[in-house]
Amino acid sequence: MPFKKSFAVLMCVVFAVMLGGCNFLIKTEPKETKIEYPTRPITMIVPFAPGGNIELKLRAMEKVIHKYLGQPIVIVSKPGGGGFIGWTELASSEPDGYTLGASSTEMLLQQYYGESKYHFPTALDPIAQFTESPSILLVSTDQPWKTLDELIQYGKQHPGELKSGHGGVGSNSHILSATFANLCGIQMEHVPFRGGSETTAALLGNHVQFIFSSPPLAKEQIRAGKLRVLAITGEKHLTDPVFADAPTFKELGIDLIHSDWNGIVAPKPLPPEVKEKLVTAFRQAIQDPEYKQNMESMGVEPVYLDSDESLDRWVKDIKRLKKMITETGVLEQVRAQRK
Amino acid sequence: MLLHGLSVCMEWDNLLACAGGVILGTLVGVLPGIGTVGAIALLLPFSYGMDTTSSLIMFTGIYFGSKYGGSTTSVLMNLPGETSSVVTCLDGYAMAQKGRAGAALAISAIGSFVAGTFGIIGLMVFAPPLAQVAIEFGPPEYLALALTGLMILTKFTCNSIGKAILMIAIGSAVGTVGLDSLSGASRFTFGSLELDRGIDLSLLAMGIFGIGELLTVMASYREPVKIPKIRLRDLYPNKEERRRSTMPIVRGSVLGFIVGLLPGASATISTFLSYALEKKVSRNPKEFGHGAIEGVAGPESANNSSVLATMIPLLSLGLPFCGATAILLSGFMIHGVTPGPTLITEYPDLFWGLIASMYVGNFMLLLVNLPAVGLFVQLLKTPMSILMPIVIVLTLTGTYAINNSAFDIIIVLICGLIGFFLNRAGYEPTPLIIGIVLGPEIEQRVIQSLVICDGNIWTIVSRPISAPLFIICGLVCLYMIVSFIRQKNNKRKKIYSFDD
Repeated sequence: MPFKKSFAVLMCVVFAVMLGGCNFLIKTEPKETKIEYPTRPITMIVPFAPGGNIELKLRAMEKVIHKYLGQPIVIVSKPGGGGFIGWTELASSEPDGYTLGASSTEMLLQQYYGESKYHFPTALDPIAQFTESPSILLVSTDQPWKTLDELIQYGKQHPGELKSGHGGVGSNSHILSATFANLCGIQMEHVPFRGGSETTAALLGNHVQFIFSSPPLAKEQIRAGKLRVLAITGEKHLTDPVFADAPTFKELGIDLIHSDWNGIVAPKPLPPEVKEKLVTAFRQAIQDPEYKQNMESMGVEPVYLDSDESLDRWVKDIKRLKKMITETGVLEQVRAQRK
Repeated sequence: MLLHGLSVCMEWDNLLACAGGVILGTLVGVLPGIGTVGAIALLLPFSYGMDTTSSLIMFTGIYFGSKYGGSTTSVLMNLPGETSSVVTCLDGYAMAQKGRAGAALAISAIGSFVAGTFGIIGLMVFAPPLAQVAIEFGPPEYLALALTGLMILTKFTCNSIGKAILMIAIGSAVGTVGLDSLSGASRFTFGSLELDRGIDLSLLAMGIFGIGELLTVMASYREPVKIPKIRLRDLYPNKEERRRSTMPIVRGSVLGFIVGLLPGASATISTFLSYALEKKVSRNPKEFGHGAIEGVAGPESANNSSVLATMIPLLSLGLPFCGATAILLSGFMIHGVTPGPTLITEYPDLFWGLIASMYVGNFMLLLVNLPAVGLFVQLLKTPMSILMPIVIVLTLTGTYAINNSAFDIIIVLICGLIGFFLNRAGYEPTPLIIGIVLGPEIEQRVIQSLVICDGNIWTIVSRPISAPLFIICGLVCLYMIVSFIRQKNNKRKKIYSFDD
């Protein structure tokens, strides 16, 4: 009977795998002793697919963090639902400091986009913010527009003709391009793509006329003279020489200010000593010269905020983003889709 | 310049990295579930201490090496090791049951080598202009290509058009499960968070083919087909098999390279197209599905050259068009190298070293894989009742590793049941996979095309590049309708002649 034999072997293998999973070194420690932390590697949940922007920045962190924490971090990718799945898992995991996660601006928007078990900005505790990066408005050098004003004038004279590419309904690039159109009174269309690479490719092939993108993704194309930056959404100019000449929207009289940030978050409530240890370690890691150099070569500026500053930032950003998504109708669009 | 690259590549540590990369890649390919993306992500931290060039050589080696190993489990136990080896199951497994597993594996290794070499030459010579072509193609053009592909594949990957259309329709629906990345709508998820992520193609392939086959074997009262004893002499392809594989390998290499330039799951699509092409040009298409060596040689070559073509947008534009090249880009950037139009001039050592390492790695793969054929075929001597359960546990472990999700294991098991019932009911599962790959692609391109062309269908079909593509698409459609009516008429005539 092949079935019986197969079943027996199957069970044996299952047992063997389970044996392998046993940890023979588990020791029961008396609870009163002072918490020694960390004694084993720390899991870092990245709520996006492997190879993404945030993972890349965390990899640079992974290189240096063990110097300050005494233990390595293990990056685990839990993609899905625009970060939703990973953050939900993070919020529901044990608050012992051994499971941390990466945060991004999108985390603040989840509460408006759909129902969720957790309200992430209150369920998660910020440890540090490690980068901040404005978005840039890009056009192809095949197009005649040399300044933002020329693009706006063209858009006004040819209603409906300009198309912008974005990385999915409700994504940051969508919100920005909708806000831009709204503020300048341009009637235009938004074309959804899957992520930043496809959007950039569509711009290079002149299938769309402009996009909002992040500096690292576009740097090489700008250096090669294929793309042109018309404006950046930051408060001040970027230091990278490739982008240094680009004016901010504010300088051009358009009230479009936005920066994407990334940080480290932990489930609540962390034991105070653990949190303190984490905050210190990540602060030191972010100031590490090797880390700084790595980030700069990618075109990302390391901008550090501590736990409390991050929280302030969240509160401000939630207000600003909510205003942007309601005024442009992006929120309505997302809600209509998710019904 | 290539010579300079060779000198870079021949440095001791780079050579070692190359060998390590391709061997790891082969393993990644052989083990079902563990894909290129997961493997590279896992190895990134280990590369921090390594030299930039060596680590990039290693990652690239893993990437193209994985397509070599993918066919192994497809042939031996109908379990695709990679999604780009799904189609190899059809004839490869049938060949194995006839005792020609060795020939199938050897041909797929040789085909991979030829196609790999072809792909590297293409990459080296034509990278910048081809990248430009890839960019010129916008959503309407991709739409035309996907539609044409869908029609061709419907006709040539299965025997009954009616069943094929049904399976493709279901496949397209399954492909839409999850949070749509364009609109943010969650579809067919029944409120389940896990389903929001969508159903991974590799999960479906492993479930429907691998686990479905296991259930079929277990459910049949007879012992699985006795595999004839293989003599050493018969391990490698005979003269007839070699002759029959030559042209499919050539066609597969060219086809794969062209398809590889398209965004998305191009390696997988290229194998289906190559299979369809071989079936079309074959003098006895009836043999396909019952162990035709052309059905192994073509697709296995196509996936290798397509992998190298996917490197073109990555290296010359810095834009990854699929998951595996995205993680490869991470590997580059973490070592401080951003690929882009200036890569060749700014990092000549790295670029030419990488190209040279591909030649060397490809050759190493052939050296590793050909002797391994004997070893793998030995595995078949193990009774299926022992081999299969072990493989299943390995598969499920790999499944978990893709997204670190236990839910995925349930999906694989359900897909296994579906595969079992499809098998029983006489439906071929291949069109289902085609629907899952191409359905969402077509949907996405329709949406984008309509926005870009202001909702005007005429603009979509009359763009300079899209117009000829749509004309081809129309012709294929017409041809299919005509041949369908003809078939029907022929059948009717036959019936009448019986009446007389």
